Amino acid sequence: MEAVLTQRQYVPVAAALAVGIAASWLSASPVGLLAPIAALYLFVRRAAPLLHVALAGGAAAALLVATSDADAMREAAQAWAALCAVALCIGVMITSGEPASPNAGAWVIPRDEVRPYPVIGPTPREKVAPRSSPAVGIAARDDSATPALMLAASFWGGTPFHLRYWRIQSDGSGRWTEVRTEASREPCGTQQWRSFTTDVGDQRSMPRQPTKIASNPSDTDETVQAARIVESLLGNAWAFDANGRPTYLSPFAQSFVSVTLEEFQASVDEGDTVFKRTSHPDEYDRIAAKWRHSLQSGEPFYIERRIRRASGIHDWSRTAIVPMRDREGCIVGWYGGSMDLDAYRTVELELLAREQELSQLVDMVPSHVWRLTPDGEPTFFNKRMKDFLGLNVSDTERPGMSRLAVLVDTAIHRDDAAAFRNALTSCLASGETFAMRYRLRRVDGVFRWMSSRAEPMRDHTGRILHWYGLCHDIDDQVRVEDELRASKQQLQQMIDAVPVNILSFSPSGKLTYASRRYLDKVGSPPSHVEDFSALARDVAHPEDFPAMFRNASDGFAAGQPFVNRFRRREKDGAYRWIEARAHPLRDPNGAIMQWYIASIDIEDEMRAQEALRERERTLRQLVETLPAMIDCAAPNGEPVYRSRQLRDFLGYGLEELDGEAQSRLQRTLESSVHPDDLAGVKEDYAHSLSTGDAYARRHRLRRFDGEYRWVETRAAPMLSPEGTIIQWNVICLDIDGEVRAQVELRSAQEKIARASQAASLAELSASIAHEVNQPLAAIVATSHACHRWLSADPPNLERARITLDRIIRDANSASEVVSRIRALFSQSSKTRTQVDMAEMIREVCLILADDLTAKNTHVETELSQILPQPLVDRVQMQQVLVNLIRNAIDSMEGVVDRPRLIRIRAASDGNDLVRFELQDHGSGLTDPERAFEPFFTTKQNGMGMGLAICRSIIEAHDGRLWILDSSPGGTTLAFTLPIEARPSA
Amino acid sequence: MSQDTFIVFIVDDDARVREALTELLEAIGWRAAAFGSAGEYLSFPRPPLPACLILDVELPDINGLEFQKQISDGDHPPIVFLTGHGDIPSSVRAIKHGAVDFLTKPVTEGSLLTAIRSAIERDRVAREERAEFEILQQRLDSLTPREREVLPLVVSGLLNKQAAAELGISDVTLQIHRSKIMQKMEAASLADLVRFAEKLHIPITHSRRAGSS
Repeated sequence: MEAVLTQRQYVPVAAALAVGIAASWLSASPVGLLAPIAALYLFVRRAAPLLHVALAGGAAAALLVATSDADAMREAAQAWAALCAVALCIGVMITSGEPASPNAGAWVIPRDEVRPYPVIGPTPREKVAPRSSPAVGIAARDDSATPALMLAASFWGGTPFHLRYWRIQSDGSGRWTEVRTEASREPCGTQQWRSFTTDVGDQRSMPRQPTKIASNPSDTDETVQAARIVESLLGNAWAFDANGRPTYLSPFAQSFVSVTLEEFQASVDEGDTVFKRTSHPDEYDRIAAKWRHSLQSGEPFYIERRIRRASGIHDWSRTAIVPMRDREGCIVGWYGGSMDLDAYRTVELELLAREQELSQLVDMVPSHVWRLTPDGEPTFFNKRMKDFLGLNVSDTERPGMSRLAVLVDTAIHRDDAAAFRNALTSCLASGETFAMRYRLRRVDGVFRWMSSRAEPMRDHTGRILHWYGLCHDIDDQVRVEDELRASKQQLQQMIDAVPVNILSFSPSGKLTYASRRYLDKVGSPPSHVEDFSALARDVAHPEDFPAMFRNASDGFAAGQPFVNRFRRREKDGAYRWIEARAHPLRDPNGAIMQWYIASIDIEDEMRAQEALRERERTLRQLVETLPAMIDCAAPNGEPVYRSRQLRDFLGYGLEELDGEAQSRLQRTLESSVHPDDLAGVKEDYAHSLSTGDAYARRHRLRRFDGEYRWVETRAAPMLSPEGTIIQWNVICLDIDGEVRAQVELRSAQEKIARASQAASLAELSASIAHEVNQPLAAIVATSHACHRWLSADPPNLERARITLDRIIRDANSASEVVSRIRALFSQSSKTRTQVDMAEMIREVCLILADDLTAKNTHVETELSQILPQPLVDRVQMQQVLVNLIRNAIDSMEGVVDRPRLIRIRAASDGNDLVRFELQDHGSGLTDPERAFEPFFTTKQNGMGMGLAICRSIIEAHDGRLWILDSSPGGTTLAFTLPIEARPSA
Repeated sequence: MSQDTFIVFIVDDDARVREALTELLEAIGWRAAAFGSAGEYLSFPRPPLPACLILDVELPDINGLEFQKQISDGDHPPIVFLTGHGDIPSSVRAIKHGAVDFLTKPVTEGSLLTAIRSAIERDRVAREERAEFEILQQRLDSLTPREREVLPLVVSGLLNKQAAAELGISDVTLQIHRSKIMQKMEAASLADLVRFAEKLHIPITHSRRAGSS
C-alpha cells in the first residue's frame, strides 16, 4: 500500500545518502556513511534490527581483517571497523527509548500517518509492542477501554482529547501521564494532531481509573456514544486516512481477522501483507485495483469479497468504504464496514445454483413447459418449447394480436385450432384444468400430436396468478394408437367376417367376449348366464350336455385344448350340431390368461355323415343279406372279403385257411371246388386275373357239410378312374336247386318223353295198361251199375241213362289213348331238327351230373370241333344218350380199382355220317350178342328194353348202333347218324 | 244188409273210377264215399259204422301199400286193394298185412261185391268185439282197486280162503269182494268171469295148487 518511505522522508534520506557517499569518497574513508545510516535509523524504524546486525557483523568482519596481515587492507579494515562500531552505537542510541521526560514533548502526527489508534504517549523512541493496543501496553488492561474510546471519539469527532492515565513504561514502572490531543486544522488534507503528554507523577494513590480531564461534554457524549455503537457493531468497521492507510479497526474486525490496528498499519508499510493475507488469492488483485481506483477517484468502494480468517476459512463479506468529506468537499478519510455475507452468500450461491438447476430442469425436461398469464398470454416457454416451435415468447409479439392468438395461429394445426381456443378460453374463465390433444407445428413444418395440460396457480385468496402448462409429444403414441385402433378394427372385422363363432372366457370360466356372429346366431346369453357352465347348460342339448360338459371340465382343469361336438340351441330354438374347439392363451410364464372357444356349424356335415353311415349300413346289410355269396378280391386274386352267406356256406371265414405255403385263393379253391371242376376253375380264373376279362363259370362248390352244390360264379373287375383294376368283385350263386330242378325237369321231360315214346316196351306197356285200364275199369263198373239200375223195381231209367253216358265217354277216352300210343310210334319227321350233338351230349352229361356225382363217375368228351349237325328227333336222341350213359354208369357200379370213366367221342366220319363212340370201364358185357335182345337184362331191376329201344330209335333215324368193343376192362358202343335227312319210311 | 249199417270208402286218384264205383254201389243200394287221395280220406270224419276201404295202390300222395302199413295200428276199416297194375309181390304184401283182398282193374262186379261184403262183415265183427271189450273195460274200471286185486286171484281158480290168505284179508271179506265183482262185471257165473278176464287180458297169475303162484 504505502511506499516504504513517504514523500517527506525521501528528501532527507536521499540527501543524507548523497552527503554520506560524497564524504566517504572525499575523505577516502567510510566515515561519511554515518549520515545515511543515521537517517535510516531515524526514518526506517523497521530496518533497525537489521541494521544493528549488519553493522555488528561488519565491525566484526573488519576487525578480523584488520588483525590479519596486509597493510593496505589493514587500514581500510580498521576504518571500516571503526565506522561500523560508531554507526552501531549511534543506531542503538537512536532506537533505544528514553523514558519520556516529565515534560515529554508534543509530537506532531501528520494526518495521513494517523492510525486508527493514535499512538498515545509513546514517543518515537519508545518501543511499543506493535500488536497490542497501545492502551494495553500503556495502561493496565482494565484502563484500556476508556482511553481507547476517548481517543476514538476525539479522532472521529475532531474534539480535543485530554486524558490522564497510568502509563506503564518499558521498564515496568508506571507513571501518571496526562495527555492532551488536539487536532489542528490545516487546509485540505493536512490535519495534524498535536498531542501533549505530561508526566504527572508516580503516585499510586491516585485512582487508577483514567479520568477525563477536560473535554467538550456534549461532543464527547455523542461521539463516545457513536463510537460505542461502532465498536459494538457486529461487523467489521474500518477507517482509513485519505491516503488509504488504515486508521481504525473495530474490535470485531480485529478479532475477525485476528489482527490489531498496529499490525495492520505496519503491514501496509510492509506491502499490505495483512491485506493480502486476509483476502482470497483470486480476488486480491481485483480488490486492490478497485481500492486504488476508489482512493484516486473518490468513488465509494463497494465490494463483495472473501475474507480469510485466522482459521483459514474464507468468509464472504460485503465491504463498503465511503469517503468522508469535509465542508470543502475534500476527502479527509475513508470509513466503512463490511458485513459478513457468508451465510447470505452461501445461500445466495446455493439459491443461484438451485435456480440454475431448476432452470436446467425446466429446460431439460423432455416436455414443453409454458406459462400463461391469467388472461392467457404466454409469458414463458422452456428451452425445449422454444427449440420446438422455433420461437420465443417475445417472438409472439405482433401488433394488433394477442400473443396467444399469434401462438395459436402459427403453431397449432388448423383443424385443432378452434377446439384449442375454445377449450383454453373456457378453462381460463372457469379455472378448470385444461387438457387437450392437438397437433403442434414444429420448426421444420412437421405437425406432431401433443398432449397438453395446464393448471392454474392460485394465491392464498384463490385468485389465479399464473397458468402453468405442460405439453408432451405424443405423436408416436397417437400414431401407435391409431394403428392399434385400425388393427383392432381390422381384427374385429375379421372376427365378424369369419364364419366362425368366437367366445372367450377368463380362467375362472367367466364369459368375457362373444363375437357378433355368435350373438346374431345364438342370441345374447340371458342375464343369469355369466360363465361357461351356465352357458353350456343353457345352449347345449340336454342329451349332449353331460358328455360335452365333462370333456370341457377336464380340459379346463388340465389346461389342455379340447374339442366338443354337440347340439346347440340357436336363436330360433332349433338345435344344430356344432364343433367347438377350445384353446387356452398363456402368458410368458405359462399361466392361462384366457380360454378361446371357436365353434362352427357342422349340422350339415353331421347329417351328411349320418346319411352316409346309414347308407353304408344299408349297403353292408344289403351285401350281407343278399341271398348271394359275395367275395371281394385284390387285383392279384387274393380274397379280402367274404359276405356272411359265403362264410356260412363254406364253413370258414376269410382268414381261417391262411397258412404259409399257398395263397389264400389257392387254398380256398382247393378246399372247396369240386375236384372235377378245379382245373377248369383255376384256368379260367387265372385267365381273368391276368387279362381283366370278366369271369363266369359253373362248378361245384363244397358246402360246410361236405355236400357239393352247383354254383355259378361270376367275377367282374372294379376299375379306378385311371382304368387300373383295384378290386375283383365276385358273386357266387347257389344254382344247385336250379340245376336239380333242371335235372328234375329234364327227368320229368325225359319221363314224358319216355312215356310218349316207344323207348321201353315194358314201360310202354305199363303205361298203356295204366292209361287204358282206368277207363276200362270205369266202364266195367259203370256197366254193372247200369244193369242194376235197370234191374231195379221199378227200373231207374234216369240213372241208367247217366251211367250209359259215362260208359260212352270213358270208352272214347280209352280209344284216344290207343290212338295216341299209335301216334307215338310213328316216325313223323316233323319233330326232327338239326341238333348240335356236342351240345346235346354236354346237356345230357349235365342232366346226369347228379347220378354221375353220386356214382363217382366222370365223363370225358372228345368232341370234334367241326361236328356236323344231323337231323334228329331231339327228345328221342336224348333218350338214347341217357340210356347209353346210364348203362355205362350202371356197368361201373362195382368198380373200385380204376377210375370210373366214361369216354364219349364224336367226329365226322369223313363221309356223310357222324360217328359217336361211348366207352365205359365197367366189367364188360358177358353176353354181347344178346345185349340188344328185348327183355334180356343182367340187371336186377332192369327190364331189358333199353338197348333194343335205342337201336330201334337209331335205326329209325337211318343210323346204326353196335357194340364196338367189349372186354373185362370195359365196353365201347358206337352209333352213327346220317348228316343229311333221308326221306322217312 | 241195410244201407245205413255200413259205409264203403273209395280212394282212387282217377276220377272216372271213383265215379263208376260210386255209381255201382249206389245202384246196389250201399252207402259210399269217394276220395282222391289218402289225405282226403283221413281228413273225412269217419261215422261209427262198419266200413270198408277200397284202396288204389297208385295214389298221388302215398303208395297204397305204404298207407296200409301206416294205418294198420289204428282203428281202420278192412282194406280191399284195387289197382291198375298189380304184381305178385304187391299182392302178397297186401294180404300179409291184413288186406281183405287184392283186385285188379277192370274188376268184375261179383268179386268186388264179395270182397266188400266180407270186409264189412269183418269190420262189423271187429266192431262188436271192440264194443264188447269197451263194456268189459268199463266194468273193470268200475272195480275198486281192492276188487281189481281180488279178480285175478278168483279167475285163477283159487279157493276163497286161499285168495283171502294171499291178500291177508278174511274169508268173509273176500266173499264180499267176490260177489261185488260178479255183480259189477255182470258175470252170471265164474266161467263167465273167467271168459271176461281172458278178453280183458287179465293174466292168470295164480293156481289152486299150493306152492305155485
